[in-house]
Amino acid sequence: MTLDPASSVAIMSRFRKIGIIGVPPLEIIRGANEHGLVIHDLDEPLVREDLETASPFLPRVYCAILRTAVVNALHLELDAIYADTGPGKCDCALHTATILAETLPIPVICTKNTDNASFGTPLCQARLPLIDRMLAITAGVKSAAPYQNPPDPCAPTAGFWGVPPRDFSILGLFPDTTHIHGWARCMENKTPADHALEGQFNPEVPTVFFAQSFCAKTALARYLAKKHPHALYLDVDVHTTSSARAKVQAFLELSGVRP
Amino acid sequence: MILGDFGTSYCKFLDLDAPGARPTIIATKELPRETRVDLATGHNGKRFADRYVNELIALARGGEALTQEEEYVLLDCGSRDIKFIRYANGKLADMGWNAECGASMGFTIELLERYYDLDYAHLRVPEQTFSVTCGVLGMSDIFDAVISGVPVAEAVARFVKGIAINAYRFAGSPAKLYLSGGLCDNPLFVGSFPCQVTPLGRFVLLRGLEAEAHQPSPPPVS
Repeated sequence: MTLDPASSVAIMSRFRKIGIIGVPPLEIIRGANEHGLVIHDLDEPLVREDLETASPFLPRVYCAILRTAVVNALHLELDAIYADTGPGKCDCALHTATILAETLPIPVICTKNTDNASFGTPLCQARLPLIDRMLAITAGVKSAAPYQNPPDPCAPTAGFWGVPPRDFSILGLFPDTTHIHGWARCMENKTPADHALEGQFNPEVPTVFFAQSFCAKTALARYLAKKHPHALYLDVDVHTTSSARAKVQAFLELSGVRP
Repeated sequence: MILGDFGTSYCKFLDLDAPGARPTIIATKELPRETRVDLATGHNGKRFADRYVNELIALARGGEALTQEEEYVLLDCGSRDIKFIRYANGKLADMGWNAECGASMGFTIELLERYYDLDYAHLRVPEQTFSVTCGVLGMSDIFDAVISGVPVAEAVARFVKGIAINAYRFAGSPAKLYLSGGLCDNPLFVGSFPCQVTPLGRFVLLRGLEAEAHQPSPPPVS
């Protein structure tokens, strides 16, 4: 179902535990925070169930993040799901929400996040392990609170452009001084539909342009990688393959990026 | 110091402490389990050495040692996968490793030669080709062609040409490329590329390891 944000928040008094797909509007998240709801980010692997359990509902050749969301939705006892299906997400999420609404006995509420108030992107520019920063960015989706004590920015030595990968292990190959660009930066900024921000990159540092396999963003990732003077385009499906790891490792080393 | 390139079908070795020694080669299926080397590459390599260099880095270092050029494309066609590096202005400009859709191309070419008792040195490059993206899937094209009356040798040659063209496109369709891997010794394969090809042989990764061997060892992982 599609509700306006106010109505989406008004029905929250009936819920205790909700799931989110993508980044719903801040008004929704703020409402969930104010109602004290438990929020599960369904885009992340949350249950120990085979991804194949999504196959009756989604094709096997489909975005691994949305297949993960379906597995989570099937196995977590949720009261409702808020799925962003606006310009900050994708048609695949819209279709997934339609299927979940038919499948599950709970409300599946479609939102359209067009938030344009910038929260800033301190984590994207900080000198900290890339995995830790990406975990913090994805965790930040569940809170509407402004950022406290943001870390200082650092000079970048490498770039990671893209979405938070389903398998974070690929991020362990990057130096702490890697700056984050792409949709992950939009996530931290809480403006997931800011396509101008998403398209930005730093041409001064070697950059990996990452997308999930079978995601529409593969086109943008590859396009931007061709524009960038020193880039590697990479798409990964469910798990980081040894060849994907080797590509990133070789790209960084041969580009003179120190660990 | 012994270097080892542990490939899917063949393993190559070079002893740097033996002056003038030539690389040796052994079929992977005949490799003794207790084999140990000082520096390894190849997808089997981690099992046989304490220090490992990933294949793309070994390929790039080998290319740097063998080509002495600022701009080039080096394509490695292995038994199991294909990979390439492109240098521009003396720096890495692009790279790729196709372990999935390039699956088993070299392996399949060798398999077909034995199965149909062919000699690639005596097959001419065909006019036609199959659209091959994978060694396994491309087999169906061969069987269909043979059923429709195409001679086996012609069908296999079309398959080999299709694989060469697929690898060429994967490498970015360059006007000229350097070729690495055992398929350098296959004249049908080399002749099937629609561009200028300079075969560098099957020991390019060993040359890359040799370059790496002269670098200081990285600190041990704790």
